[in-house]
Amino acid sequence: MIECRDVSFSYPASALPGSDNQAGGALKHITCTITEGSFVLLCGTSGCGKTTLTRLFNGLIPHYHEGTYTGSVCLGGKDTRELSLFDISLKVGSVFQNPRSQFFNVDTTSELAFGPENHGMAEEVVRERVKHVAAQLKLEPLLDKSIFSLSGGEKQKIACGSAAAIDPDIYVLDEPSSNLDTYAIADLRQLLSVLKSQGKTIIISEHRLYYLSGLFDRVLYLNDGEIQGDYSAKDFQNLSAKQRDEMGLRPLGLDGLKEIEGPPSRGQGASWRLSDFSFSYKHEPEMLHITEATFPVGSATALIGHNGAGKSTLSRCLCGLEKRCRGRVQDLNKSYSRKDRLKLCYMVMQDVNHQLFTESVLDEILLSMKTNDKQKAKEVLDEMDLLPYADCHPMGLSGGQKQRVAVASAIVSERPLILFDEPTSGLDLFHMRQVASVVNQVADAGKTALVVTHDPEFILRCCNYVLHLENGQVQESYSIEDSEGRDRLLKFFLNDMEKEVSTR
Amino acid sequence: MSRELLASQKSNSGIPLDPRTKLTLLLTIAVFILGGSYEGIMQYYIIVLAAIPLLLLLAAGKGKSAVLYILIFGGSLCLEMFGLSRLTGVANYIAVAIVGILLRFTPSVVMGYFVVTTTTVSEFVAAMERIHLPQQITIPMSVMFRFFPTVAEEWSAIGDAMRMRGVRFGGGKAGAILEYRVVPMMICSVKIGEELSAAALTRGLGGPVKRTNICKLGFHVQDIVFLLICIGAFAAQIYVLAARG
Amino acid sequence: MNNKLQGKDLINIGIFTAIYFIVIFAAASIGFIPVFIPLISVIVPLVGGIPMMLFFSKIKKFGMLTICGLLLGIIMLLAGMGYWCIPTGLIFGLISDFMMKGCDYKDAKRELLIHGVFSMWVIGAFIPIVVTRDTYYQSLLSGYGQEYADTLMAYMPDWILPVLLAAAFASGLVGGLIGRKIFKKHFERAGIV
Repeated sequence: MIECRDVSFSYPASALPGSDNQAGGALKHITCTITEGSFVLLCGTSGCGKTTLTRLFNGLIPHYHEGTYTGSVCLGGKDTRELSLFDISLKVGSVFQNPRSQFFNVDTTSELAFGPENHGMAEEVVRERVKHVAAQLKLEPLLDKSIFSLSGGEKQKIACGSAAAIDPDIYVLDEPSSNLDTYAIADLRQLLSVLKSQGKTIIISEHRLYYLSGLFDRVLYLNDGEIQGDYSAKDFQNLSAKQRDEMGLRPLGLDGLKEIEGPPSRGQGASWRLSDFSFSYKHEPEMLHITEATFPVGSATALIGHNGAGKSTLSRCLCGLEKRCRGRVQDLNKSYSRKDRLKLCYMVMQDVNHQLFTESVLDEILLSMKTNDKQKAKEVLDEMDLLPYADCHPMGLSGGQKQRVAVASAIVSERPLILFDEPTSGLDLFHMRQVASVVNQVADAGKTALVVTHDPEFILRCCNYVLHLENGQVQESYSIEDSEGRDRLLKFFLNDMEKEVSTR
Repeated sequence: MSRELLASQKSNSGIPLDPRTKLTLLLTIAVFILGGSYEGIMQYYIIVLAAIPLLLLLAAGKGKSAVLYILIFGGSLCLEMFGLSRLTGVANYIAVAIVGILLRFTPSVVMGYFVVTTTTVSEFVAAMERIHLPQQITIPMSVMFRFFPTVAEEWSAIGDAMRMRGVRFGGGKAGAILEYRVVPMMICSVKIGEELSAAALTRGLGGPVKRTNICKLGFHVQDIVFLLICIGAFAAQIYVLAARG
Repeated sequence: MNNKLQGKDLINIGIFTAIYFIVIFAAASIGFIPVFIPLISVIVPLVGGIPMMLFFSKIKKFGMLTICGLLLGIIMLLAGMGYWCIPTGLIFGLISDFMMKGCDYKDAKRELLIHGVFSMWVIGAFIPIVVTRDTYYQSLLSGYGQEYADTLMAYMPDWILPVLLAAAFASGLVGGLIGRKIFKKHFERAGIV
């Protein structure tokens, strides 16, 4: 049982850990009791404090993150201040958002054994635990592998397994689905239901809600650091779509998406054409083979498909980043070689931190300009709502602002083709819509946007055309400006979710 | 994966050796080939030592590396024995220096290559725990090996971004280029590091009890043979020193 | 405050050692031609200042630099560069740790000096070439005669070790300055300190 009594917490002004806390993440007067065996969903917009709340539960506050902390959190009757992180780790298992950064070891078996080893359990016991957890959570195919060869979804499963190996009574998960596709999310759901059936207490903070319906039995809605709603599962399901939307929450299903108003019709017939486009690593089979694909110039195209379908490879090849890529890229006028494409395309990367180099936002824009035109640079910054930050360090901004800096520098680079690699992973409703309007802005300005994404609502809000990749080949491509196309798109996402239900 | 400094996954290592044996071999080669005096019978013993990495590479099926090793080491050896006395002037200066460096460094570098490609991080850390290094050293060590591939990934992702944005070397901008590349790499790595710390601590790292390790280690016949060769080298050296008086 | 190294500190050591090594490795391999090897003792401290100055800002406890030095020595051993970087890493790391403690972990000017001292660990990479010089000279003398032995000795004069050591220290100071500049320009403003 976890009890919070009048807990308030704020991070020190200078040390905001991670961009998502930039907006705040502070908590005010939280009082709640979480009973044994319950499955609690924490939801709310970014910066509402749900990550901070998970940190209070797993002891990272006050033992790792520093700040002003009053009130008390009790685990099984003991104040977490009096317990060490080592003690808490026996009771609470944690899974975090980023699958890349939560592994201590480089191979999966050691990772599963890591917790029990830290607690000094005998070798035989540790081996037994690893075997047991692998069997329970169906991780056997992943044993003895390098973590660098795993997909995001597989990593997240191992992370859950690693927490489960200590066999804690409470699990705390902080946005575990952020970087996963629909298939991987279905696996995660199944894993959570195993833990739930064991009678464990589960606390999960999430933006994507659809995959948790039927699992949670209580929902805490946070806003601005306070608990503003405490719902039973039934009450929460009964909220109308409009109410949830006003709360800034993502939908519980895909039903409401048909009504979304799409972007204006764009593109006047001209197309980008890829032909005999292929890529393979040395001595390995082809990962990408596209005999023919087209998408319209001057509009937004969504690139969809399951993990491993070749979406990222395609966008890297298109940008000219892969030397081993063969094939032609043409528009109406000419054909572009790999080197030409380095100057033709601009990619807004999934981890936008990789592409910001300079010491101020203004310099970042100027770096991409052919001429040193400060006036023009400021105009573009203004369009992107970034003018007040012109002198700030780009890395000091929030995630969404960084993304907009990258888009702004893409716009001033005057390149006709702008790619976005999963720009909405881990974003809440508000920020997702903000990115959608940025993509709309880009396409309305006559540029072509190509968006790699798993997010149906986002696609419906800003894309005109869909390119569906599977096994390195184009499976289908269609316009979603008419209702037929939109139904087809929703069917693809619905199919994935239904598969999940039917196989369980 | 070529970016790793120690392997993350078990691979066929030919003659399976305990990491402690591998390290002893590496040290012995460093002592007697890299820093040895090549006196008396040691001249011949170092050939035995230099043959060890070759044998291990061949057994592990790393044929290409083995051939390269034979070419570099054998070539330098031939040059030193027969070729150098025919060269004069500047060519001679350079040749003597290069041959001297190659002869001494190659066996050690190749042995190091064998160790890092056939040992997993878990094995290495387990071996360090077995020789009673305190956890103040083994914990940073495992984090370090865990982090090499991550930092390298960041490094190459940033390189991609620079190519895409058209930021290139040239025009006396070497300083700026270094800054553009190193700074984001460090900022990203530090952030990943913070998350890594938090994740590790919630699983009980650094607690007051002694860690256990499920990695299986142990000396076998082959270990003993190689360790005897190492002891032989030290014995031969002592004999040489004693004979010199 | 607890003065023993905690989990968080130990993880920080590992992270920064990895970053430091990759940065210096990338920089050193730019000039990787045998004749330029002595230049490494200049390049490494020069670029190493950037990660080190950030690392220094996270150090509040004794021992972190000693462990970092030891780890660098172990990587150099694995890279086939001999075992001499282990003692040099330990020694200069230990001295740096004492100096850090001496200034209570918050003297920016002293940190430049500390970086200069710490940078001297690279000398370990040159010891196998220099220390074995005399015995090598003897074997060359017997095998190839005076002229060839002298040729090699000319390449490695007596004074090379102290010169390299001084070069490492001096460029360590400069590297520290660069690191400090970058630290102010980027890391402080980006809010990762």
